[in-house]
Amino acid sequence: MAKRITIDPVTRIEGHLRIDCEVDGGKVTNAWSSGQMWRGFENILLGRDAREAWLFTQRFCGV
Amino acid sequence: MKCCDSTHCDFTQESIAGGVSRRDFMKVCSAAAVYMGLSESFGPTIAEAATTAARRPPVIWLSGQECTGCTESLLRASHPSIGTLLLDLISLDYSETLNTGAGHQAEEFRAKSIEENTGKFILVCEGSIPVKDGGIYCKVAGRTALEILKETAPKAAAVISFGSCAAWGGVPSADPNPTGATPVYKILEGTGIPVVNIPGCPPNPYNFLSTVLYYVTFKKLPELDDKLRPKFAYGRLIHENCERRPHFDAGRFAEKFGDEGHRKGYCLYKLGCKGPETYNNCSTLRFNDVGTWPVNTGHPCFGCSEEGVGFKAPLHSPAEVLYVTPPAEFVSAPPEKGKGASALAAAVGGAAVGAAAVAVGSNLGKKDQDNKEN
Repeated sequence: MAKRITIDPVTRIEGHLRIDCEVDGGKVTNAWSSGQMWRGFENILLGRDAREAWLFTQRFCGV
Repeated sequence: MKCCDSTHCDFTQESIAGGVSRRDFMKVCSAAAVYMGLSESFGPTIAEAATTAARRPPVIWLSGQECTGCTESLLRASHPSIGTLLLDLISLDYSETLNTGAGHQAEEFRAKSIEENTGKFILVCEGSIPVKDGGIYCKVAGRTALEILKETAPKAAAVISFGSCAAWGGVPSADPNPTGATPVYKILEGTGIPVVNIPGCPPNPYNFLSTVLYYVTFKKLPELDDKLRPKFAYGRLIHENCERRPHFDAGRFAEKFGDEGHRKGYCLYKLGCKGPETYNNCSTLRFNDVGTWPVNTGHPCFGCSEEGVGFKAPLHSPAEVLYVTPPAEFVSAPPEKGKGASALAAAVGGAAVGAAAVAVGSNLGKKDQDNKEN
């Protein structure tokens, strides 16, 4: 029977990352990573003046 | 060598933990005193309060919808390293960006610190809190940021919302605010928990440092304005102390990016500068320890720290000018009496007049603030 390991939060990175993995007999057999935060930049940018796009997109990540 | 006359001060070594020299540390504490509107002579008091281990306040740093730019701004202050300094001044018990432990280890340590320091720790919030759809748009360890904030804040001594997102919503709250991004103070409204807002995108790390040092020194929060911002940092408009202000007053404007006026460093008002409606101290404090800020690189201020302006008002449309007249009435030079005033006497007189103009300017700033409140 595979053992499920979850690491959440993953620290020392920017953003809220979660890692799930299945370990069977000491070997990782399956793994998932998922961002745990969403701000909806795509929706915020819709219909805006194109000259303003950089103002928002450069704030995806501040690192 | 003793740094002050206080008998309690054992801050006598050439260097303190973290490799910051005593000289640099004293400079920071004195500068912080000045930022806070206190006399420079408060420097030793602040230094003493900050270096007394028993008083080192625990800090829990929660991350909501953020880009970590606020943390970066703080960690990359380098003259001296405020990151190093702060980690030695405060006991940073939990920060997703800086924790060594991850997953359940980090979470357990956070719970332990909150338990042990109930009523004593400072809660720093970075990022807005999504409330739409039950807050599912930001989760840590399977729990929503909303849930974690509501559970943690009542146990804190005070909450500092660091950055525009935490202070008033910032980028995630831009129209149409897809996730219901909400500022921290609104979530905590009615709970009586003291909240300080330090907006900016990113905020200036020295404003944060000064707020923390003020709290450590005086055991209370600094005086706040109607938007919960420390008055020492947000009491005046960017426009009031802008280096391009004389061009504004003289009607010299850059009309287009790259035109003659722009190349000559004229006022950026017509390019959409929001300095006339944004309260912050960027024009005097500046960034990155090299004296830079958007306006001196030739780009208009876009009001990143001001609710209703940053990420809201169109980038290149003109700002509302809140105060049209210059901030300070300059004192006229006293007429020379008698004959043969020496060049030295004239220079001394000039310096006195300059100092008086600065003093008058700061008083007027307060008056403006009072008027605004009334």
